[in-house]
Amino acid sequence: MLTYCKKCVMPDTKPDLNFDEMGVCSACRSYERRKEIDWDARHEELMVILEKYRSSDGSNWDCIVPVSGGKDSTYQVIRMLQLGLNPLCVTSTTCDLSSIGRQNIENLKQLGVDFVEVSPNPLVRAKLNRIGLNLVGDISWPEHVGIFTIPVRAAIQFNVPLIVWGENSQDEYGGPAAAAEDNVLNRRWLEEFGGLLGMRVVDLIGQEGIEKKHLLHYTYPTDTELARVGVTGLFLGHYLPWDGLSNALIAQANGFNTYQKVVEGSMVNYENLDNHQTGIHDYFKFLKFGFGRATDLACLHIRRGRITRTDGLDIVNRLDGKFPWEYLGKSLESILEPLDMTVSEFVSICDSFTNKKIFQRYANGDLIKDKNGNLTKINCDNL
Amino acid sequence: MLKVRVIPTLLWKQFSLVKGEGFNSWRSVGSVLPAIKLYNQRDVDELILVDITSNKSGNEPDYDSVAEYARECFVPFTVGGGVNDIQHVQKLLRAGADKVCINTSAYQRPELINEIARRHGAQCVVASIDVKKNAGGGWNCYSYSGAHDTSQEVCMWAKELENRGAGEILITSIDKDGKMQGYDLELISAVTSLVNIPVIASGGAGNYEHMIQVIESGASAVAAASIFHFTEQTPAGAKKALSEAGVSVRVGY
Amino acid sequence: MKVGIIDYGVGNLGSIARALESLGVTPVLVDNAMNLHTQDRLILPGVGNFTDCMHLLDKGGWTSALREEVITHNRPLLGICLGMQLLADSSTEGANDAEHGTKGLGLVHGRVMHLSKLGCNFRIPHVGWNSVSSTSGDNHLFQRIPDGTDFYFVHSYVFVAQKNCDVLATTDYGTPVAAAVGNGLVWGTQFHPEKSSRAGIQLLSNFLTGPIC
Repeated sequence: MLTYCKKCVMPDTKPDLNFDEMGVCSACRSYERRKEIDWDARHEELMVILEKYRSSDGSNWDCIVPVSGGKDSTYQVIRMLQLGLNPLCVTSTTCDLSSIGRQNIENLKQLGVDFVEVSPNPLVRAKLNRIGLNLVGDISWPEHVGIFTIPVRAAIQFNVPLIVWGENSQDEYGGPAAAAEDNVLNRRWLEEFGGLLGMRVVDLIGQEGIEKKHLLHYTYPTDTELARVGVTGLFLGHYLPWDGLSNALIAQANGFNTYQKVVEGSMVNYENLDNHQTGIHDYFKFLKFGFGRATDLACLHIRRGRITRTDGLDIVNRLDGKFPWEYLGKSLESILEPLDMTVSEFVSICDSFTNKKIFQRYANGDLIKDKNGNLTKINCDNL
Repeated sequence: MLKVRVIPTLLWKQFSLVKGEGFNSWRSVGSVLPAIKLYNQRDVDELILVDITSNKSGNEPDYDSVAEYARECFVPFTVGGGVNDIQHVQKLLRAGADKVCINTSAYQRPELINEIARRHGAQCVVASIDVKKNAGGGWNCYSYSGAHDTSQEVCMWAKELENRGAGEILITSIDKDGKMQGYDLELISAVTSLVNIPVIASGGAGNYEHMIQVIESGASAVAAASIFHFTEQTPAGAKKALSEAGVSVRVGY
Repeated sequence: MKVGIIDYGVGNLGSIARALESLGVTPVLVDNAMNLHTQDRLILPGVGNFTDCMHLLDKGGWTSALREEVITHNRPLLGICLGMQLLADSSTEGANDAEHGTKGLGLVHGRVMHLSKLGCNFRIPHVGWNSVSSTSGDNHLFQRIPDGTDFYFVHSYVFVAQKNCDVLATTDYGTPVAAAVGNGLVWGTQFHPEKSSRAGIQLLSNFLTGPIC
């Protein structure tokens, strides 16, 4: 049986989540503690760090802001400009960029920033998507690596030590820039935050004709290079109260485009708009752990008191974990085509990564699927 | 020449892959299958998978999941956790495990080791011992994933397990586990000098040098978990370092 | 190609089956000695104790059936680990009669005895990866497998062949150990090819594609 948080609707299968003796998850508790945070003091700390690392004479950019063009990165850039900084925005182009994703990238540039877009070799990227899906059940593996690696490489190449990330999944941590000592970003950081599922870039060499030279986009700098520039980073979400919906409103007021309806597998229309493969990525989270994007969002909004837990459960039951036949209007077949994969091969991979214990099955052990291929969890709430 | 083995250990709790520190602070870090597939892709020497909750829940081992994982594994696969009956062993082997790990059950009924060795062969029994240093400078054996002090002393217990037919001993220092600051070298020396069966050292590896040290202390194989999950160090990297230090390791085909 | 894995009540059949599946073959578990003839190739696994296994083989009618399939019908057979040892004339493992040992299938002449009896001073069982050297250059079983490739061993008893020419490959564990045997009728590997990663898969492939003796 799955155990769910008593306050939000997250199951205890989520990695790195703990439940206390009252049955409340650590993310909810972390959010409760936000009331106690002295945001003014945090803001002050932020200004001190920014002052410490920004260019002293305007001869270089003040910081690197990794961006995707989404609501959060749009918001981050708006804040950086408001704080008087001159950021260099850096993006590692996503796997299957949607047209709305492209519009939002262009919109972000129009806020008035210098922008570097580093696009990986799409043929290699497609192979990595396929390998990621086959080997660790994560089509977005190369994207995670790219997002964490490219801004760091940019920091070194442009000699800009400070990287301003957005939100941190582990709320308590502000980032190495905040530390009194040891504030250089190192390799260990990538392993901890990168979501690499234990796979390393070196594991790819030799697979499907991939050589070291094809993986430069994904190759993290050495500790020596990092130390030479003194690359460090901070999570803006530690210093400013962070809320996805607020970020979206502010971004929208600055030209950010939302989708014309609720995104497939989600419960909102204002995020995860740039990559057609995201539906597959989120679906595999559901198969492995029993929660998808709708659950993530329902929990965020329950914590902020916008919807009740009952409403959250209802939304999750209706929208979460649906088989990703299409995403942002693009069909699964077309999304899989560059990966040289058919839908039925995809279904086999889905089945192999499904944690069968958490879904309903027939007596012979086969998963029960409805006419659209959707699975049903063994329990959707605590009994 | 027989090679030293580098064995990634996967710890499994209900639905997730977990990592701990001192057998506590269990952190779920993902699901088991991707890890199995990854290690198989990397052509590791062996894999150990331990279910850390079976002994508490009293449930039988999860044969279906073991079968799924074994399907992806073309290197020796040792499975442990909650094995307390010869029938469990039979079913696990049938499901695809090559060796079975026995820990807590051996304290309750040591004859189980004899039975399994007799029926399935000593080579399929890995006797697992978890220890903590005691006040006297020796080590006490703990059962139930470190929860219960059996007050058995490690060397005597290891010898008894060998006499009963265990094929290998997997010895884990609870004190060092997850801290990535090195194995308990004294512990490994003490046990390896007493038994004549292979000893797999576990608990504490943080870098390749630690592995070299514990091999020099007499271990036939090194098991490790945190180092491979949380750092950029890999089993292949470990073997390269061991090889450079003059230790004989397997090179992939 | 029909490959049968002999299911006489012991053995980790799943691993062997999976290794064969990776070669595109769907093996059959043969649990009745009368059905041996339906298969093109046979694999004899073995885990446990020689005496207990021979008892099961005798009881199930396998002993005479296997001898007939191999000797009279030239059906290729590969014995793995204890399965290789069962091909011998006798073994002392678990035997009531310590001197003569328990009688084996007698398909490759030789005796099986404990490693310590051969002067091995290392830790026993012999567990882990060890390098295997072919005894002759044109050994089909080891085709495309470089000399010295590591395979996975896990055993305490070893096969001592009567004739040197029946030993196809050796390994070293303080003393030379027969890693593979074969005499044109049958083959055997002391190591586990199904657990020896890619090298093992290559060996199994060689067995499947080998010339019929």
